[in-house]
Amino acid sequence: MNRFADISRRAFLGNCSLGLSSLAAAQLLGGDPKRPFAPRRPHLPGPHFPAPHFPGKAKAVIHLFMAGAPSQLELFDPKPKLAELEGKPLPPSIIGDQRYAFIQSDAAVLGPRFSFAQHGESGATLGAPLPYLAKVVDKLCIVRSMHTDQFNHVPAQLFFNTGFFQPGRPSIGSWVLYGLGAETEELPAFVVMSTGSGLSGGSALWSSGFMPSHYTGVRFRDGKDPILNVTTPEGFGDALQRDTWTLLERLNRERAEAVGDPEIETRIAACEMAARLQLSAPELMDLRSEGQATLDMYGCDPDKPSFARACLLARRMVERGVRYINIFHEGWDAHTNVEGSTRNNCRKTDQGTAALIADLDQRGVLDETLVIWGGEFGRTPMVETNPALGRKLGRDHHPQAYTMWLAGAGVREGYTHGQTDEFGFHIVENPVHVHDLQATILHQLGFDHERLTFHSGGRDFRLTDVHGRVVRELLA
Amino acid sequence: MTRAIASSLLAIAAATPILAQEDLRYSRDVRPILSRNCFQCHGPDAAERKADLRLDRPSEVVRELLVERVTHADPEERMPPRSSGKSLTPAQVDVLKRWVEAGARYERHWSFVPPQRPAVPEVLDANPIDRFVLAKHAVHGLVAAPPADRMTLVRRVYLDLIGLPPTPEEAAEFADDDRPDAYERLVDRLLASKAYGERWARRWLDIARYADTNGYEKDRNRSIWPYRDWVIRAINDDLPFDQFTVEQLAGDMLPDATPDQIVATGFHRNTMLNEEGGIDPLEFRFHSVTDRVATTGAAFLGLTTGCAHCHTHKFDPITHTEYYGLFAFLNNADEPTYFLPDEEWSAKIANRRSRASTALAALHEKWPKDKAPLEERFTAWLGDQRRRSATWSTLVPAEMSSNMPLLTHEGDGVVFVSGDTTKHDTYRLRFDGAATEVASIRIEALPDDRLPSRGPGTTFYEGRKGGFFMMEFALSAGDEDVVVASESYARPGGVFHRSASPARATDGDLQSGWSAGAIGERHVAVFTFTEPVAAGTPFEIELQFGRYYASSLGKFRVSASSSSAAEAIAFDAEIEPLLSRADSELTEEERRRLRNAFLMEAPEVQEHAKKVRDLRKPPGRMSTLVMRERPAHHVRQTHRHHRGEFLQPRERVEPHVPEVLHPWPDELPRNRLGFARWLASPDNPLFARVFVNRQWAAFFGRGIVTTLDDFGAQGATPTHPELLDWLAMEFVERGFRRKTLHRLIVTSATYRQSSIVTAEALARDPDNVWLSRAPRLRLDAEVLRDAALRAAGSLSTKMFGPPVRPPQPDGITEIAFGKPKWRAGKGEDRVRRSIYTFQKRTAPYALFSTFDAPSGEHCVVRRDTSNSALQALSLVNDPQMVEIAQAMGASLASRGGGDRETCVNAFERVLTRLPEIAELTTLLNFVGAQRERFRADAELASRVAGTDDDAIARATWTALARTLFALDEAVARN
Repeated sequence: MNRFADISRRAFLGNCSLGLSSLAAAQLLGGDPKRPFAPRRPHLPGPHFPAPHFPGKAKAVIHLFMAGAPSQLELFDPKPKLAELEGKPLPPSIIGDQRYAFIQSDAAVLGPRFSFAQHGESGATLGAPLPYLAKVVDKLCIVRSMHTDQFNHVPAQLFFNTGFFQPGRPSIGSWVLYGLGAETEELPAFVVMSTGSGLSGGSALWSSGFMPSHYTGVRFRDGKDPILNVTTPEGFGDALQRDTWTLLERLNRERAEAVGDPEIETRIAACEMAARLQLSAPELMDLRSEGQATLDMYGCDPDKPSFARACLLARRMVERGVRYINIFHEGWDAHTNVEGSTRNNCRKTDQGTAALIADLDQRGVLDETLVIWGGEFGRTPMVETNPALGRKLGRDHHPQAYTMWLAGAGVREGYTHGQTDEFGFHIVENPVHVHDLQATILHQLGFDHERLTFHSGGRDFRLTDVHGRVVRELLA
Repeated sequence: MTRAIASSLLAIAAATPILAQEDLRYSRDVRPILSRNCFQCHGPDAAERKADLRLDRPSEVVRELLVERVTHADPEERMPPRSSGKSLTPAQVDVLKRWVEAGARYERHWSFVPPQRPAVPEVLDANPIDRFVLAKHAVHGLVAAPPADRMTLVRRVYLDLIGLPPTPEEAAEFADDDRPDAYERLVDRLLASKAYGERWARRWLDIARYADTNGYEKDRNRSIWPYRDWVIRAINDDLPFDQFTVEQLAGDMLPDATPDQIVATGFHRNTMLNEEGGIDPLEFRFHSVTDRVATTGAAFLGLTTGCAHCHTHKFDPITHTEYYGLFAFLNNADEPTYFLPDEEWSAKIANRRSRASTALAALHEKWPKDKAPLEERFTAWLGDQRRRSATWSTLVPAEMSSNMPLLTHEGDGVVFVSGDTTKHDTYRLRFDGAATEVASIRIEALPDDRLPSRGPGTTFYEGRKGGFFMMEFALSAGDEDVVVASESYARPGGVFHRSASPARATDGDLQSGWSAGAIGERHVAVFTFTEPVAAGTPFEIELQFGRYYASSLGKFRVSASSSSAAEAIAFDAEIEPLLSRADSELTEEERRRLRNAFLMEAPEVQEHAKKVRDLRKPPGRMSTLVMRERPAHHVRQTHRHHRGEFLQPRERVEPHVPEVLHPWPDELPRNRLGFARWLASPDNPLFARVFVNRQWAAFFGRGIVTTLDDFGAQGATPTHPELLDWLAMEFVERGFRRKTLHRLIVTSATYRQSSIVTAEALARDPDNVWLSRAPRLRLDAEVLRDAALRAAGSLSTKMFGPPVRPPQPDGITEIAFGKPKWRAGKGEDRVRRSIYTFQKRTAPYALFSTFDAPSGEHCVVRRDTSNSALQALSLVNDPQMVEIAQAMGASLASRGGGDRETCVNAFERVLTRLPEIAELTTLLNFVGAQRERFRADAELASRVAGTDDDAIARATWTALARTLFALDEAVARN
């Protein structure tokens, strides 16, 4: 009967320090932290969710979204021809009638700003600014032949994250949650973190669109309140907070009995989870429990927000049953000085990214965690230089061809897919459209993207609209 | 509802045939099955149709093949095919069989058939609504719940009608009112309350996708709050819904449109504006019209018209071309900023002008004593200006053209630019030969109130509003390009920007150009040629504009001079001719004017001249975004777009409405106004139904048609079709009055039932489809905050005006582009009603989005009502809720009296009813415990309630208020 009081007693009396050890957390979770995907009653936020169509390889997704669009020509797709042509325009037949955001279509070619080298047993080619990634390159499945429909940031970011270029559709994380439900009752199942500059796309990027709002991504924030309002305000204190939850539970339950509305039971459960979040969030955020070696591997200061810290938190979330984690790093939009911008962004992200792959791998969870890395489009082979805007040696937006990579959860390791022409302008082999990659992501989670639908506004919607195919070549 | 009615219903229930024996109806029983499973391939869309077979209209094949194919033994042959992911249940197959056996009779889809006034079921002397509801109870063997107690009812009707709970005094007043019509009197009071408009406007703003920012990446602020205020006023004035609709869609086109009617057209200016660098403005304008079509469909027709954007609708009979027919109605407006009539502003500007004249007249007194004497400097300046000046003759273009914008000669050589602009605009102006030879050309860029920020440019997004960027200037005579030898540039104040001088517009580089140095001011450029154009020789000027955003010139004039020594002079155009006169020919007044022009430019008194310039600038004024229909000679063409893609326009489409809907009356003009009148016509079978259904849903938590925005084939079938039609007819006949409809609903016994549910009733009708009890509904986000503010006694009653920023947690808006800070307002701005809260699309106010408020990025006709842990956290920890609890804590602490009375008062303020004894005991224990805690630790108390003497009491009662606000009952209406 007084289920809640019991939990709150455990939560607050038993562990007033709020520095719960992971063992205690595991007991509270009723699971073993070393086996994060041990079968557990899926937590149902909604009345129903569809069952997977087949067993999926991935149990969780970490989506590293490189907002602003990194330059594939500096990092993944070496084009010596561009160095030869530097300063000259591309043949007009190549450019066709493509519209550009900033440059004119007769802009001159800019050669690659960095050297490239082959790494690992797979011999995959990477640009010089990615020394850490080079060490885990054999785990990656690099797709050099991505293309998208949109050439402006917000529409393209929305297109990747929701399958549609305007706000209003559910994000991939919402689809995954709708499809699979949650494995944790201690943390939100769909988490969003962001580093770098302010985000172009805003909260529409993790919105649940026309799905119920509990499929919306929950932001983990910098500062002392990692989940919105998870911290008890100053002066109220743990003891008062415990009394508050207890009083709420008692009065709510009396009311439920008086009026018979089952929705009050849901509110009581929501309060229970809120109380648990007040405990589990600080525990999750407390990176001091990680060894120094781990912190060094990520290159992260446990108290300072950074991309590396977000990566480490993502690993901890995966271990705690979080289903979908979106880390946005905004700042790749190199309209000027693509060299400095690329170097700078790689310095902020390369080590953390590589450490995440290695760490998931060494803990044996990479097999069931899909990691996705990439931006909303690529960058032009042509230079963007505009004294009036104070820009030089940059690159404009390029939707025709760019690079992303995947790792873990049954994707083919040490493999590079697709090929672009000698200018890096067009794809000449194995194009992969954004909808194809979305279909592939859902496939790895156990869903046929054509059958995972949600009825709204008179029709059955899909993440992939009426397009997309599973790119089987990317799968092991 | 009385018990007598309830018991009489039992008798009716027993006498009514059970549902299964009702006749099979195509619309209700068959069409949903076909629509969901078959129409995608065998429906209205010819492009997708398989085997050339249609099942959405009568045919032989249906009678012959349908049953055979859906029951085929071979799974490969059986329909629907496995690959479609669809399948029929045995019950559905049975329905299809019975339907075919009975002759496979089709009916028009119910919502396209005009409502017929149904007979009102004869059930005692109840409100007609109740008779329809009770008749369904009878069919389903349900019994209505007893009436809600007075305290529950008064709280319910307050929250529903005005979005605020009653104060304990107001509740008591109703409870003690034993007149038979006490409730009706209360309802009338609430309907007349100003707060009613604030409550119901919020619902409408969801549909209108209202927000205070532009959306997309930059998401900059916009001023469109006068539209929000118009909605509040219109609802308070009970503007009939047909008129409410016409004014919002086409108020600008009404004869002698009033400012209010123009402001109302902000409805469709609530579309987003993409200001991201490098976008194609025409593409996003196209998308905003797409949004207008979808919103119009959802709001007024309950049709998912957006589905026909890319191809013929799969399920509803709306063709691809018909979609663009609707599009065309909404695609012929310009989108200006409208300045509200404002007497204060007019007075202010007159006052500033007079102060500017006084300051100008006194400028010479500011001349510094330690510098060269004024007259000496002025004489030198005058000489210099005379050397630069020339006789200019205004040129009137013989012919003008452009890639897209409309160039209009407005007299005296002044050219005004309107219509759409692109990232690369080219203006061509052809002139018959000049009277003298043309050695120099002068271009004056002129400010105008019709341009963004008064121009002189047309820039309306991304760049500085009102700016322009002339990439290239070229003049040709015959086939010859005339070479520019030199150029000069001036604007008031004489400040020169080398990087944006007209020289950049003759360098052949499209990335550089001449731009506006100052918004809202006249700019002048003079181009002097190596070889003059001979007198009488026709010539052409080509001007190219644009950057990575559209940035053309909005108003300008071209003049010519035979002088090759002419240079740009920017001061007052009326003074310039004086320069051609010798000193002896100038009157004292003329000389004074010249001297003032000098003083305005002289560095010696720059500081004082700036004050004059600032006073001359018009002060900020109230503005909003509106529609303005294009003139007949400048119609924007609409095309069908293949696959809905902006870049694939096909054949031209004229404005027209889908054939399946009610016919277009010949007397209506085929424009936006005609469309609005057609839409809001009593002949429209959907218009009233969709509206009354949405109102019904607001009071009962679910619509009679649960898919509020889809009355089409895929939408839900009405649970009470006769009631829906009766309400729709009643609504139309009573003049489309919202308040009348609301009164009808809330005075029904159905509305006044208790929401207490027995386990048995819950089991029989878990979703309360048949309304045998009142629903318990979670409060809307805004109502929840307003209710707390009112309980605390701190809610402001101030109405209207620019949006305000109440407190919210740190780091909410910082997620968005540019990491903007949220600076919470002071004083009253923190406690205004929630409808006045600043709405930022990419980072909405946190408390509201946690409770399912929309972001304003698209039309929302039905909000989700979730129930989450994040909500629980917000209720107890959000700084806004804590601040409200602190206000209530202070108020409770100041009451004096005992704990018991104070607890009761707190409870009543939040929940209206009195606490049960057990509840009161629980509260008293909590209060006692917290008081002890704060007594033991004064530091804690001071953090909650400051350091005043009564800090412990305030902290204690704050803790109680904070808990009460988080109760399920506090965020629900019972």
